Amino acid sequence: MRSFSFAIRDTVRLIRRSPGISGLTFLTVLVVFFFVGCSFLLALNTRHVISVVEGELVVQAYLQPKADLEGLAKKVEKMPHVRGVRPISPEQALELLKARLGNQSAAVTLLGENPLPASLEVRVDKASSVSGIARELVSMPEVEDVVYAGKVAEKLARLSRFAEIFSLFLLVFAGLAGALVLYNTIRVAIYSRKQEIEVMLLVGAMPGFVALPFVLLGLFWGLTGTLAASAVLGFLYKSFVNSVQNTLPFIQLVDSPQLYLKLALILIGGGVSLSWLCSWIAVERHISEAMKPS
Amino acid sequence: MEIRMSGVTKTFGEDITALEDVFLSVPKGDFVYLVGPTGSGKTTLLRILNRELLPSRGQVLVGEYNLRKLRRTKVCQYRRAIGMVFQDYRLLEDRTALENVAFVLEAVGAPRKEALDRAGEVLDCVGMWRRRFLYPRELSGGEQQRVSIARAIANDPLLLLCDEPTGNLDPQTAGEIMQVLLSINASGTTLIMATHNRYLVDAYRQRVVELKMGRIVRDQERGRYDFDEEL
Repeated sequence: MRSFSFAIRDTVRLIRRSPGISGLTFLTVLVVFFFVGCSFLLALNTRHVISVVEGELVVQAYLQPKADLEGLAKKVEKMPHVRGVRPISPEQALELLKARLGNQSAAVTLLGENPLPASLEVRVDKASSVSGIARELVSMPEVEDVVYAGKVAEKLARLSRFAEIFSLFLLVFAGLAGALVLYNTIRVAIYSRKQEIEVMLLVGAMPGFVALPFVLLGLFWGLTGTLAASAVLGFLYKSFVNSVQNTLPFIQLVDSPQLYLKLALILIGGGVSLSWLCSWIAVERHISEAMKPS
Repeated sequence: MEIRMSGVTKTFGEDITALEDVFLSVPKGDFVYLVGPTGSGKTTLLRILNRELLPSRGQVLVGEYNLRKLRRTKVCQYRRAIGMVFQDYRLLEDRTALENVAFVLEAVGAPRKEALDRAGEVLDCVGMWRRRFLYPRELSGGEQQRVSIARAIANDPLLLLCDEPTGNLDPQTAGEIMQVLLSINASGTTLIMATHNRYLVDAYRQRVVELKMGRIVRDQERGRYDFDEEL
């Protein structure tokens, strides 16, 4: 506890003694985590756009004449990767056809008896599941035929996989860049107090005691920088979303109160953890080096 | 704290031998001057005793500590038992004299108030009580060295290592610093002082260990700076 109060005082001293370095570090953390946040939002929106398109993918299963439409719909609904099933009776199919024909709907009377079969409109959770579900449906005895946009689904599945890898790469890259900047900034702060650390170690201070103020300093920079980055990014993103909604309403960007909370939590949590880790490694390396007798 | 060095050799790289086959025994409470020309190995010997350097060969025992086999936590414990005074003082510029001394006490776990009280006491011992709130840049060389000594003795060390503590000081101030060191030694602290100050060694006669080219060439009780055959 005594060590901790000493470390707190020492951290405040560190911040006040070098306002230039402190300000610069704060700005660096802010900028780095602003870009980490941008990467996160970009990844999130890419995934969102793809999932919207994926949600539109439908597998149409046409049933045998005497198949139990409702029973089969319930059965298919329970299959994995199925997001929803809409049973369409022959009568509903006819109505849909009439609606589609518009002015020429009277032409259907020429058909005589309704020739349209009952069908199931199956929506899937992602593009890569489409062909699997289509195969399962076609293997069912009640299903006569299955129709789906196979090539589109395949392309979409590939795009989705690419987007996932790209998002992950972007986040990892932004995180690593942030860690590197933080690590080096803390090393500069440690270097500026080289003599003080040396004296502390020479009088027998424990390494943990010497390290604590620097770790707290790293946490302080991480916390304040990411708080500011979250606020700036949240404000700018909200303005961007509003402007897109006004000018290009067909583009749907992710926008919800949960998103901002999630963004802040990710940035602050990530920033604080990363700054703790970086400052700990930087100061521990310096202490080990300083304590190693030559 | 008793010191026993046996067969200690310290080399830097392949070419430089700073100490060679040094055998030195210093009983508890002794006062030893280390003399010799620049580069003779005085500072290396002190840095080995401070565990900043490890000997290339030989054994160093200080009290209960075998310096070759100390682990990191034990190094901290060992350093709390000794004090070190440097020629260049090594005071922290952004702290007052009082804070410079109190900070080492806090660094080894003393509560803030206790550290400040004790720092005041030791600054009083070295005649710096009235100047305790001044920063190092506001103090003279002699005053800074007094603060540095106060810092070194604040933990009541059993061994005090002084590397040219009067190197940058005028003779009168050097004499005052010497008085302070002698009084610390009189209280039972073993004291090893590397010096070039002929006047002090001759004026305050103590055991003299002379080093040349890394070897001990003289070990004389109550010796002078230069070898005195009569003794």
